[in-house]
Amino acid sequence: MADATAVAAAASSQDPATGLAAVVSLRALLESLEELQVRNARDQGWSWQQIADGLSVSRQAVHKKYRRSGVV
Amino acid sequence: MFERFTDPARRIVVLAQEEARERADDHIGSEHLLLGLCRAGETRGAALLAARGVTLAVVEEDLRRAGPPDLPDREALAGVGIDLDEVRARIEEAFGPGALENTRAAGGRRRRLWGRIPFDRGAKKVLELALREAMHRGDRAIGSEHVLLGMLHRETGRAAPLLHARGVTLPAVRAALDDAPGAASG
Repeated sequence: MADATAVAAAASSQDPATGLAAVVSLRALLESLEELQVRNARDQGWSWQQIADGLSVSRQAVHKKYRRSGVV
Repeated sequence: MFERFTDPARRIVVLAQEEARERADDHIGSEHLLLGLCRAGETRGAALLAARGVTLAVVEEDLRRAGPPDLPDREALAGVGIDLDEVRARIEEAFGPGALENTRAAGGRRRRLWGRIPFDRGAKKVLELALREAMHRGDRAIGSEHVLLGMLHRETGRAAPLLHARGVTLPAVRAALDDAPGAASG
């Protein structure tokens, strides 16, 4: 990671375009990481309830997002 | 427009389509045209690339390192202190090569196994610019070298920055073509 000063400077950027682009990119990265981890958990035999607990969401939410849409 | 393409130039377009399909991409971009150019055998465009050390293997490696276009924006993440390459490296350690880009969230598993894959805006621009380059040079047909010139223009997609970084620039290729006038298009 970059040094703390640079991070703080960027994170507190007053330019909305910069700040919003960072949020969008973080969200995209988050979605990929979540998908990988959910699939990994399923591969290791975790139940949907366990995964939901791990993600701090409802079982229905994680089920709908990953199972019904056929992602995992 | 395709009726004015030479056989090698047509082959590039066909191979670009194949590349997009094999990579499970849902569009043909300038990078697929570049891969097509590298795979189309001995063409004038490929010779110009090879003379500058750009081969199929080099392009494939550069594209792999650049990551898929759908991955989160590297610079935007760097702006908040996240090194995407570092993240990807750790993910690949745990889940294998390409794990991050193969997530559906990253668009990695969209597949078009049949039907025509559409050209994206950049690829269309490459082909239009190829036509313009051919006209500008007084060439009757659009050959592989014109397609190469087209993809060197800015804002045509992923091929241009990759090639520029390898020293293949619009002025350089134009100059090389000027030095070898009269060679048949192809």
